[in-house]
Amino acid sequence: MPNTVSPKPSAPPVPLAEVGQYSWGLTLVFVLASTCWVLLPYTGDMFAALVFLMAIVLAGTRWNRGPVLMMAVVSALVWNYFFIPPQFTLHIDKPQDMVMFSLFFIVALSMGHLITRLRAREAALAQHHQEREHLLAEKHRAELLAESERLHRTLLDSVAHELKTPIAIIRTALDGLGQENPYAREIDTANRRLQRIVENFLEMTRVESEALEPQPDWCEIGDVLHAATKPIQNELAAHALRITGTADMPLLKIDSRLLAQVLGNLLHNATRYAPAGTEIEIHAALADGALELRVRDHGPGLRLGAEDQLFEKFYRAPDSPAGGTGLGLAIARGLMRAMKGDIEAHTHPEGGAEFVLHLPVKTRTAA
Amino acid sequence: MSKALIIDDEQQMRRLLRMVLESRGYEVCEAADGQVGLQEAAFHRPDVVLLDLGLPGMNGIEVLKRLREWSDVPVLILSVRDQETIKVEALENGADDYVTKPFGTAELLARLTVIQRRRFTRQSAEIVVDALKLDLLHHEASLNEAPLKLTPTEFALLKVLAEHAGRIVTQNQIIRQVWAGQASDPSEGLRVHINHLRKKLGDTGPRIVNEPGIGYRLEE
Repeated sequence: MPNTVSPKPSAPPVPLAEVGQYSWGLTLVFVLASTCWVLLPYTGDMFAALVFLMAIVLAGTRWNRGPVLMMAVVSALVWNYFFIPPQFTLHIDKPQDMVMFSLFFIVALSMGHLITRLRAREAALAQHHQEREHLLAEKHRAELLAESERLHRTLLDSVAHELKTPIAIIRTALDGLGQENPYAREIDTANRRLQRIVENFLEMTRVESEALEPQPDWCEIGDVLHAATKPIQNELAAHALRITGTADMPLLKIDSRLLAQVLGNLLHNATRYAPAGTEIEIHAALADGALELRVRDHGPGLRLGAEDQLFEKFYRAPDSPAGGTGLGLAIARGLMRAMKGDIEAHTHPEGGAEFVLHLPVKTRTAA
Repeated sequence: MSKALIIDDEQQMRRLLRMVLESRGYEVCEAADGQVGLQEAAFHRPDVVLLDLGLPGMNGIEVLKRLREWSDVPVLILSVRDQETIKVEALENGADDYVTKPFGTAELLARLTVIQRRRFTRQSAEIVVDALKLDLLHHEASLNEAPLKLTPTEFALLKVLAEHAGRIVTQNQIIRQVWAGQASDPSEGLRVHINHLRKKLGDTGPRIVNEPGIGYRLEE
């Protein structure tokens, strides 16, 4: 027989507290009945009825409905049996006693019922209130988060402004000096490097803050490549750029600005590691609803085992030239993942580093 | 002599721009915030405005909107923000073009020249951009004196770009003028027709350059 245990279907068990309430109810009725019995010669049977009613009302304010109704029934019977003449029978002689008994029974039952209902409503209200408090707290927290996000962005904007303004001033002033002065040229080179570092730091912060939302739109791969290469045309001038596979590519629905930035970072990397005069190749292909872009240089290739580390923040290869921040590839990976794609790197079998971008895309043939 | 108004909160930037512009024969006035900028614009009636977007108090977009209520002076946006949405917002609120700080002086001056030229076009039914000619009267185009066969949509598209030759036109501006809400996915149609136009213009005509997230520029 398979060793399965199936829970027995059962009525919801009577809570332990309620069992206690039943026995306390019975005890209370017994104690009150005894007291009234002793006092009967002085007070009469109506006194006992009022005492029982009071007990039921008090019980109703604390106990559940079951024990209270039980008390109402038991005390009615006890009152009838011990107090209403003829005593020690459930029989009632006088019509007015009959009416009194019926009234007692009805009042006791409705008291118990009404009071427990009132308490149930109170409990429901309290729960409702609690839920509202909870909702309000939740809303408050969401507002706080949104506010902190907004502050973060404002801060980022103002830091960007503060860092880029001096760089812009230096650039304009240098243009005024002219490029004939070799010292001015050195300042210009350093200033561009500084600009690149600042932009990388800001972009990394943006990628990490997850404030980055890709905005896909139809675009042409040629436009992406143009946008990627234009800002680094000076660096690329020392290399021959060979682009294949883009000629008959359909329209792609992607965030072209982000993809251009990824490609720009990879190309800039290639210009730094591959010797001047070597070729940099970009190959584009579409397969299974995804765009694949390969960027290959003819430099020394990647250190074995470092293919993954490369994409970590601030990672710098031991033999890399001075002047990098170790952020370019981390940004590239962050951007690719934000677009639901990915990036990986390896050394090409025939030498040189090769980066492979993989990006799911919608396509449309531009007839 | 052209009059230029610089609205920028960075004193050093204003000083440098003044030097650059004065050396090119501009008469220059300046303002450190939007409020003063608007007053100066009303008082001096400049021929061109250089407007920084990141102004304290009234921001650049707001200044631009107020200015456009009564003036069609060419406006060049200067901004360190490289977020595309801000640039698009400025362009769609009446800015003529933008340069992103840090910018080269040559680029700045070229943009200024192009946006000032816009006032003097539209006096004939012909638009000429380098070797490209558009005859608006007969809806005909020619490249290097040879007729260029264009569909009506292509002609309308090229007309928008040529009217703004050298200046950026946002994707929405193009779509509004050429498609006017007819196409289901106008962005896709736009790319398709740009593609066709590029092939027809070939290497000898002006180039249609895309600026991702913003729009297109017909480069002379």
